[in-house]
Parts: sequence; structure tokens; C-alpha cells
Amino acid sequence: MDLKAAEKFRGFFFLASLFCAFFVIPATVHADEENSKCFVCHGKVDFANPLKTGKVISLYINFKEFSETVHGKKLCTDCHTDVKQIPHRNVIGKVNCANQCHFLGNPSGAPETMKYIEYKNSIHGKALFAGNHAAPQCQDCHGKHNIFKPSDTRSFDARENIPKTCGKCHLQEYVDFNTSIHGTQFKAGNKDVPVCTSCHGEHNIFKPDDARSTVSAEHITKTCSACHDKVQIMEKYGIPTEQVATYDESFHGIAVEFGVKKAANCSSCHGYHDIRASEDPGSSININNIPKTCGKCHPGANVNFAKGKVHINPKSKESGIVYYISKAFMVLTVSTMLVLIIHIMLDLRKRMQKRKGNRE
Amino acid sequence: MNEKNDNGIADNGNELRDKVRKQVIEELREKYGNGFKEEEVEKIASDILEGYASIKEKALLDYIKNQPAKEIAKMERAKADAASHEMLAEKEGEDFFVRFGINFRAQHMLLFSSCIILILTGMPEKFYYTGIASFLIKLVGGMGTVTFIHRIGAVGLIAMFAYHVLIYTPFTRQGRKDFLELLPGPKDILDVIQMIKYFFGYATEKPKFGRFSYIEKFDYWAVYWGCLVMIGSGFLMWVEVESINMFGKTIVDICKEAHSDEGLLCTLAILIWHFYNVHFNPKVFPMSWVWWNGKISKEDMIEEHPLEYEMIMKDKKHHGKH
Repeated sequence: MDLKAAEKFRGFFFLASLFCAFFVIPATVHADEENSKCFVCHGKVDFANPLKTGKVISLYINFKEFSETVHGKKLCTDCHTDVKQIPHRNVIGKVNCANQCHFLGNPSGAPETMKYIEYKNSIHGKALFAGNHAAPQCQDCHGKHNIFKPSDTRSFDARENIPKTCGKCHLQEYVDFNTSIHGTQFKAGNKDVPVCTSCHGEHNIFKPDDARSTVSAEHITKTCSACHDKVQIMEKYGIPTEQVATYDESFHGIAVEFGVKKAANCSSCHGYHDIRASEDPGSSININNIPKTCGKCHPGANVNFAKGKVHINPKSKESGIVYYISKAFMVLTVSTMLVLIIHIMLDLRKRMQKRKGNRE
Repeated sequence: MNEKNDNGIADNGNELRDKVRKQVIEELREKYGNGFKEEEVEKIASDILEGYASIKEKALLDYIKNQPAKEIAKMERAKADAASHEMLAEKEGEDFFVRFGINFRAQHMLLFSSCIILILTGMPEKFYYTGIASFLIKLVGGMGTVTFIHRIGAVGLIAMFAYHVLIYTPFTRQGRKDFLELLPGPKDILDVIQMIKYFFGYATEKPKFGRFSYIEKFDYWAVYWGCLVMIGSGFLMWVEVESINMFGKTIVDICKEAHSDEGLLCTLAILIWHFYNVHFNPKVFPMSWVWWNGKISKEDMIEEHPLEYEMIMKDKKHHGKH
């Protein structure tokens, strides 16, 4: 049994080393040399393909930049497998990342990650496979010949570039975000504020009405509180963190937690892409806009809705009368129950004594 | 022979006739010996009875005429009172007294059914973060259903409280009477002191309670206060837009806090205090049945409501005279 298994593995190791000897090692060693053939043409800045429609597609590739990308050591033909001869006689098709290398168990050394599957199940992947050509594929977000690690500022997926990358398609959201408190802070270089992916996720993006989405009614509170109940982040900006706890304890919070989707969550009042500080006249929670905001769910709300604090913590003195009512009831409850329990105990004791006396 | 008519009074016309006839025969015999005829005896007896009937009718009419109208009304009311009055022992020597009438028992049933619904749906909302609460909420299908059921309970409580305060208390004899009995007085303070003395052995006797002991009075007024707070705050939150529009947002915050806190106080008072008095107390364990059949035994009546017992007995003697 052991011998047989060993033999099997011997065969596997043999094939694997052959594979490395013929494909992997030569590819890395000779990549620059091999690719230089392609850059004879594609290295020219004005190398382009004028289409019949009048559109001109640039075919220029910055060789220096390409060699620094994550694929810099790959051969051009590793991806463009339909390139057989120079000059090309056939139409060169789109590269299919997921089929060629980026799948689980791939032999070419691409990262082994669940992101491929996440993408397929996401709203983007679902739309693409349903035949929507506007839906983003890998290249739309990651780039083509300029794929860098996300930590590299040149990457489409670097934190600095994410809003722009998403904004290529989601223009209205991009504009809203840019004018929001998060967006303006982002442009000022603040590293704490969220970008698109902080709230929506990356490969696993779902529609907001999908329960799996990080911005669904079920999950939005958790998503916002990832930052908003962190004292070390919020104290820098003077934003109170008890808003999260007070919301959770409020009727809205409890209703949402137990399946009432129509109850208000963070975004119902604060908005989402265009969240603004309450002092901003454009904010949905600006004192002048509160009646309208509350009125979305409570038709007929008037200016009185804007009077007083919304996130109330009955345990804090700042809540004023609510705090004193809470305290008064605590005193009333404790004292009443104490008196009643003492009465019960005395009554029981007396009954025991009486019973004992009767027996004797 | 001795037939009874509808009024339960023996119709002894024949008996009377026999008696009169016997007497006539005897007297005739004394005076004239046996020399008289059957028909003559019959005629004399008939004359006597005719006279008796006319005099009786006249006497009764005179009696009714002379009786002042007010007195009669009072007598009739007392009679009706005694009949409808379930407080009174039904017959002399009966072992049970009826403590609570069917109306009052029905109110109590509506009250406790509503309260059970309200507590079972309200407490999980207050303590939503506990495992049992989340289990209960999910069991009935989420917060939407819980809120809906809570409002069904609320309608029950409001109906009961409105009926009790607006109809039962002012417009029924029993309601008015019990309400007055339930008003706290100086005797209750003396009773509490006496009870404490009794607990610690400084008095050999428990205080003598009337129809309602201070314990029962406390229960009644606790429910009164609880209903006012819970219904008031609950209603203002039910129509939250109008409440806020009229009184400002703080009113709903206050209502929420008060509703939640008073709810807990009510629940604790019921679970600990009321349940001890009517369930877990060794004397009544597992349960006092007065809520169901309204009855209290004579022994319990004498022990727990001696003053009321005395009153009833005095009343009965008074009624017995008429």
C-alpha cells in the first residue's frame, strides 16, 4: 500500500519537475527577451488601431511600467494565447483571466483565493454571466497591463484610486461621495474615512436589498459601526461613539435586529453616499431637514421632530428629563420591591412559626 | 288540601270554612241541642266568611294606603339588593360567601389575559439582548409580529380599564360600593402597624380587615396607576407623529422610558407580590380560586375579612325582620 502510494507520488514529482523545467523556469528567465519582440511594435507610443467606426484604440504598452506589474515577469503570450504569429493575422481576443490562470487549483502560480468564487456570486459576476456586457470583468477594476499590488499607488485598486475606479461606471455615486463628509475628507488625504470598498466589499458586492450585502438593512449597522463605535478613530473628530449603542437600544435598532426591514437604520436618516455633517445645510440630519427625513417613514412629521436629541442614552445626565425619569423609576422600583419582598418574608416567617407552634 | 299558590302562602279557604263550620255547629249544639239543619249551618258559615273576606280586603288596603311611598321603595330596593347582592350568603347557614360577582371576575380575567400578552411581548423587547428574548421574538416571527400582538394586548387592557373606570365604578351599585371601600384611609396605616407588630410577636392578633385589606388596596391602586402610566405612554407612542407634532420629540422619549420602566415594575409586582398572595402563599398554594368562582369560605371570610363578615351578618338580621 505504502509502496504503491510512493510510486504514485514519484510519478507526480517527475511530471511536476518536467513542467517546471520546460515552462516555468524558461518563462521567468527569458520573459524580457521574449517580450521584447512584442515591444518592437507595442512599445511605440503612437501604435494604435483605427477602427472602421472612427474610434482609435491605442495599442501602446509602457514596457517599463509593465515589467514592474505583478505580471511583469510573464510572457505576453501567457495571457494572449491567441497570438500565434507576428504580425498577427487573426483578431486578438479579450484575455479571460478566470479561465486561464485565476481559478482555484491553477497550475500557473496565480493566487489561490476564494475571491474568484466570490466574484462569480456577486451582483457583478451574476450580471456578467447573465449576458450584461456592461458588467465589470476583472480588467475593468484591476487594469490590463498595469496591474499592481493594491499597496502600490499606481494600482487601480489602491485605496487612493478606488472611488475613481468604481466611479467609471457608478458616476452618480462618485459625485455624491465626493461631496459627502467622507469624500471631502478622502480628498484631503484622510486615511480613516471609508472608500467604496470599505462599505460595499470588493469581490462579494451584492445589491443593498440582498440580505448578504454588507449594506443591507440587516448588516448596515455593523458596517457603519466598524468605524463609528471605535473610540480611537472617532475621538480625533469629536464624533461620539455612543450613537451606535443608543441606536441598538432604540426601537428602530431592536426592530431592525429582529427582522423589521422597514425600520430606520443608519442610512435611513444619515444617507449613504452623500453623508454630511449635521451642520451642513445639505445634510439629511441638518435641523432644517429633519422633518423631511423623519417624514419619509412618519408622514406628517413637523418641526417638533427636530427639537431635542435623537440618540438618547437614558443613563447619561445629558439626556435631561429622560435621565431623571429613568432614575426616579429605578428608585421607585427598587424601594417598592424591597418593601414588598420584606413583607412576604415576614409573612412566611410568621406562618412557619405558627405552624411549628400548632404542631407542638 | 293545603295547596300553595304562587306567592308561597297556603290557600286555606277550605280549612277556614271547615273551622268556621265546626265552630258554628258547636255553638248551635250548645244552645239548641241537635235540632238544626245542615243547610242552616252552611248559610251561617257562608255569611261569616263573606264578612271576613270584605273586612280583610279593607284592612289590607288601609295598610298599603297608610304606608309612606318612600318606605315602600326603600323596602323594594333592599329586597332587590339582597337578591342581586352576591356578597350576602345566599341562605342562612351557607358555608360560602360570594366575594366577587361575575362582572368583576370577568374584568379581572380580561385584565390578566391582556397583561400576560403585554408582558410576554413587552419584556423581550426591553431585554432584547438576552437569549430567551431573542428566542421568543424569533419564535413568533420577528419584531413586527411582536408589536402587533402587543397592541392586541393593549386594546384588551384599554377596554378593561375604560369599562372599569367609566362604567363599572360610577354606574353599578357594586362598583360604587367597592370603590369607596377601596379608598385608603387612616385605618390602613393602623393595620400596617398592627401587622408589623403581629409579624414580630408584639401582637397576638392580625389586624381586622374589612372588605379589602391594605394588601388588596395596594394591588388595586397599583393596577390603577400602572394602567394610567402604561396606557397613557403607550398610546402616545402608538400615535407617535401626532404626539411629537403636538408636544415635541421629548414626549416620546419620556413615554418610552416610562413605559419600559413602569412595565418592569408592574411585571415584578405581579410576579412577586401578587403571585405570592394568590398563588405561592402556603395557605392558598397552588392557587386561590376566588378569581374563577368568586367564592370565599366562611372560615376564610371570618379570618381575612372579619369586619365585612360582621357587617353582612348584621345586614342579614336587619333584612330578616322585614
